[in-house]
Amino acid sequence: MKLNPAIVGFIKKELTQALRDPRLATLIFLVPVIQLTIFGLAISSEVKNISLTVVSRPGDYLARRIEERAVASGWFSAVRIDSPAAQDYATLLREKRTEAVVAVAPEGLRRALERGNAKIQLLIDAANASRARQVEAYVKNVIARALADNSQAPPLPPVKLDLRVLYNPSLESAIFLVPGIMAMILCIITVIVTSMAIARERETGTFETLISAPVSTGEILAGKTVPYILLGLAEIPIIIAAAVTLFGVPLRGSLFQLAGAGFVFVSTTVMVGVLISTFAQNQQQAMMGGFIFLFPALLLSGVMFPVENIPAGWRLLAYLNPLMYFAKLLRNIMLKGGDWGVFWTNIGALCAIGAAIAAVSAARFKTRLN
Amino acid sequence: MSADVAVNVENLTIAFGAFKAVDDISFCVEAGEIFGFLGANGAGKTTCIRAICGLLSPTAGKITVAGRNVADDLMAIKTLVGYMSQRFTLYPDLTVRENIAFAGALRKMPARRILARSKELFRFTGFSYPQDTLVQNLSGGVKQEVALCASLLHDPAIIFLDEPTAGVSPASRARFWNLIKQLSAAGKTVFVTTHYMDEAEQCGRVSLMQTGRIAALDTPQNLKAANFPHPLYEISPSPAAESDFAAALAASGAGPVRPWGLRYHLEEQNADLWRKFSAERAGQFSQRRIAPTLEDVFLKLVGGGAA
Repeated sequence: MKLNPAIVGFIKKELTQALRDPRLATLIFLVPVIQLTIFGLAISSEVKNISLTVVSRPGDYLARRIEERAVASGWFSAVRIDSPAAQDYATLLREKRTEAVVAVAPEGLRRALERGNAKIQLLIDAANASRARQVEAYVKNVIARALADNSQAPPLPPVKLDLRVLYNPSLESAIFLVPGIMAMILCIITVIVTSMAIARERETGTFETLISAPVSTGEILAGKTVPYILLGLAEIPIIIAAAVTLFGVPLRGSLFQLAGAGFVFVSTTVMVGVLISTFAQNQQQAMMGGFIFLFPALLLSGVMFPVENIPAGWRLLAYLNPLMYFAKLLRNIMLKGGDWGVFWTNIGALCAIGAAIAAVSAARFKTRLN
Repeated sequence: MSADVAVNVENLTIAFGAFKAVDDISFCVEAGEIFGFLGANGAGKTTCIRAICGLLSPTAGKITVAGRNVADDLMAIKTLVGYMSQRFTLYPDLTVRENIAFAGALRKMPARRILARSKELFRFTGFSYPQDTLVQNLSGGVKQEVALCASLLHDPAIIFLDEPTAGVSPASRARFWNLIKQLSAAGKTVFVTTHYMDEAEQCGRVSLMQTGRIAALDTPQNLKAANFPHPLYEISPSPAAESDFAAALAASGAGPVRPWGLRYHLEEQNADLWRKFSAERAGQFSQRRIAPTLEDVFLKLVGGGAA
């Protein structure tokens, strides 16, 4: 096979430019690692430092057990309310003196259990709904365990819980989040760098010289995309190494899946970069266009919020989002060991979306000035 | 069509929306000549060149280059012509060698030929810096010489140079024009745009462009002769000149007067009235018979707009 000299020349030129510019080289190779570190540490969906008040009669042994359990879990700190007159729970919550209140029946939890009529009231400050939902789950868990410990009277548990946490048993958010963040970073870098590289040619006027040579649109398109696909692929091992060493994220799946998913995703985002550049006359516009794509892409990717929480109409956007599929693929490969069913479903969807984006970009990419 | 015609443009119109950058122009460039486009910014020079090189699709009209129609035979034409745009055509963050290598790769030239041609062209232009110098570290004039080398790399028969000397030192401009003349002497057709009058004087034929149209097209000599059949005087008012001197000169009826810096250029169309004015205003000015320049022609035909 004879390589097209124009495309080979392009690849050499683009890589030389990208690697010679210290800012661009930093952006491509160092910034992702820094971002991964910062995001991995800062973005945490874990809820900690919950102040909890257990309201009970003095000497209610079971209620006391709930409080002890809660504090021992490390997620809660107990807020004791000394004055019985201050037992206006709503006020406590409103004044932010406590975040959750567990109130047991006045006769004592044990007696209530014996009567088979155990009711525990749980009040949670739900100003932050997603936090409240987690607090609820934690408290329920704590109560269930406290009651299960009470071996003297294994009664009907007042709350039936059937929670199972798979793949991330310690609920460490970093392990779940890092693959998503890796996908995000790869997406940001490839989209921005590609669209800027094309916009720069237009802005400085070198694009005119390019198209004055007898090269086809396909050759220019290949010349402007292949180098950035290669750079994106080179970035994957760097980010993976950072994720594994810094956050202890496992890499359980096959390298074949990783390479395949990485290639399809990077090709797709590079074509998104081309698409953005077709709307931009200069680098500023390309940067703006990049953000217009990236913000919804990042938010509707399931990395920060579950896709299931997005209202049905908007969820469609998530299903068109290449980032969502790649984040799923990465989690599947890294955390779950790469289930082949999940792999083929998501890579299929990613290929279809990538092909559609590539077709639109190629159709819009003009080698004329008007 | 004759083989001696390098470029033929018929009724070319290029519109951007309602604005006609090039408005129904026709002209012909002969093989081997230095053909100049002279005009102010926005006169349509660059737009026209871009259309001839196939970078822009014309709104109407027909362009043939070396006998081939641009609309049908674009790739063949692109291999025949060299184009140097008015903006930087080189990558400032690449070295001279890398820029030349990329220009050659785009034209699918084998590495050995790129090397041979670049040696030849560097000798021709007198480029003497190390080839590993980044283009951004070269002076404007040297950059343009390297850009010329890049656009000549594939040995094109027709070369389009769009304001090749804009923003370059006078010494570099003279050197560059020397190269242009050598190219022409070697049989190349050179199509050049400029807004320097002294450069236009060196063209075989010049087309004066004004708002998308050709105001005049001929050799510099013919343009001057045709537009200035009468003697041309340069009038320098002396400090003793009365304040209405300029108005009186214009109203004298001796001929058209154009301001020229602090002086005036007068076409003496009526010798009697001129003698009368000279007698009335004796001592208030000095006069000098001058040969018209292209600038006189330009100002006469295109008006006072800055060239």
